[in-house]
Amino acid sequence: MLIELSGVSKTYNQGRANEVRALSGIDLGVEQGSMVCLKGPSGSGKSTLLAIIGCIFPPTSGRAAIAGRQLARLPDRFLTLHRRETIGFIFQRFNILPELTVLENITLPLLPLGVAPKERRQRAQELLERFGISHRAQFPAGQISGGELQRVAIARALINNQPIILADEPTAHLDTNLSREFMEIMQQLKEAGKTVVIASHDPVVFAHPAIDRTVTIQDGRIHVP
Amino acid sequence: MTAMARYNLEKQLNILEYALSSLWRRRMKSLSVLLVFGAVIFLLASFQMVTQALSDKARQVLAHTPEITLQKMSAGRQEGIPLAYRDKLAGIFGIRRVVPRIWGYYFDEVRLANYTVMGMAVDEMPEGARLDTALARGTMPGPAEQGRAVIGSSITNALDLAGRDTFSLFRPDLSLKSFVVIGEFSRDTDILTNDLIVMNLADARDLFGIPGGLVSDLCVYVANPTEIETIAKKISDALPSVRVLTRPQIQKTYQAVFGWRSGFGSICLLSALAAFVILAWDKASGLSPEERREIAILKVLGWETSDILAVRFWESVIVSGLACIIGMTAAYVHVVYGAASLFRPVLMGWSVLKPDLHLLPRLAGGDILLILAFTVIPYLAATVIPAWRSATVPADSALGG
Repeated sequence: MLIELSGVSKTYNQGRANEVRALSGIDLGVEQGSMVCLKGPSGSGKSTLLAIIGCIFPPTSGRAAIAGRQLARLPDRFLTLHRRETIGFIFQRFNILPELTVLENITLPLLPLGVAPKERRQRAQELLERFGISHRAQFPAGQISGGELQRVAIARALINNQPIILADEPTAHLDTNLSREFMEIMQQLKEAGKTVVIASHDPVVFAHPAIDRTVTIQDGRIHVP
Repeated sequence: MTAMARYNLEKQLNILEYALSSLWRRRMKSLSVLLVFGAVIFLLASFQMVTQALSDKARQVLAHTPEITLQKMSAGRQEGIPLAYRDKLAGIFGIRRVVPRIWGYYFDEVRLANYTVMGMAVDEMPEGARLDTALARGTMPGPAEQGRAVIGSSITNALDLAGRDTFSLFRPDLSLKSFVVIGEFSRDTDILTNDLIVMNLADARDLFGIPGGLVSDLCVYVANPTEIETIAKKISDALPSVRVLTRPQIQKTYQAVFGWRSGFGSICLLSALAAFVILAWDKASGLSPEERREIAILKVLGWETSDILAVRFWESVIVSGLACIIGMTAAYVHVVYGAASLFRPVLMGWSVLKPDLHLLPRLAGGDILLILAFTVIPYLAATVIPAWRSATVPADSALGG
């Protein structure tokens, strides 16, 4: 299993008056090269689960192993280093910095890795060509269309060739055509051996044939129908 | 270069590149900070340059003043000193020469300006011949040259002498005494000669109506400059009613005057700097929603807190470095080409005729370090330290609910 969660719980502001239990007793395994959808309404805990899988923070209790590394008690710095090597993120609304050019946005994850400018440009150019947006390389990201923005976000998630791609509500602000296009790209990535986890309550996503498994999250727990 | 060193260098260059692009994206904000910071450094550097240049100039000019000056005091005020006192000094070993001098202020009611008038016995002064080197043209008036004067550079304009070389001043009985200009002081000596009119002793006595046998002061020249203090003490013992001023004392007084003025100005400017640093701290402590979002995205994308702090550090280094270059260059231009016009009322003279100085600023390594210590270091501290709080924005705030 590339992703292995066992009895994972997450409590925000533990011990304080505003304590919130976001996840309880999550058991989840995701095999390498598979595509899993985390489905559930807003506030159900999907993003928290994604953040744990994405090594943003460790669980409050339980065991979480991502790409062979146990997250519990891993200091923040090592979580970041593990995230760099393992996880590619695609955010809700894509979280592209609009003042930067498309090329600069895509190469952002490479800057703290000490990758030289020439190599950065080369890697980004390959991805831009792969997604058919190489003509937009020097455009400010704030000036491109929604579909192009989506491909920029995917290219950024792939720039460091991480084995796991996490997407948080990627189609929430896209029309049906763009949502389908997004899922086709995800399918290609899956076929290329990437492990894809998508948090979404969009039927275009969870009903897509490339999805191997849909996990429903409700009130911080996996809901078994 | 080792692989680790190459990695660290590339990483810092990448972060520097991002800091530059970040400053460019917020160019209006960056430009305003740069201009305000540059202005603060400009004021501090100008002040430092002017103070140093004036102190240097005063030191150079005062090097040629008499070693000891004697003035007669009565009821705490200066009055004429009898020429006969020269005889009482004759027995003091080590005195080379005693030269009388008459000086005073002449108030020009038309131009509402004070001129300094000095009657000198140039032929008796040990450095009499060398005094001509302080002149841009002409020679100093000799004892036989009645009605001749050498003037400072501002007097030409004040007396409206363009195209003519004669002028007249009123005696105390309101009769006019005429002078022919036979020389003009070099502008290098402006700090002391700008409002000066020099004539021979007899003309000065006539102009001020000072009775024969009295002068304003006696200038004592000594054979061995290391003996100044000893000889001054002997003179004090021999002439108890006389105030004895040594050259080192006069130099100290000038230094103290410039020191006090520059200190006062520095306090005002440092207050401005402190206000700027507090503002920078305040701005660096708060984050706009866009900035919070950007930090969260960078962290999710694998940037460490230290990387984000490094961006802030490089931004501050670039802003403060540019502000230093701009501020110091502008200060140099202001002092050299603008004659330090902003600080002249604070730093120079008490006369209405302010010297039209041509200063050559001296900015030693120590002065540059001092300016950097008072500007760049507080700015770096004020922007990077609070950035720590900003850089700890949780990465998950970039994710949805």
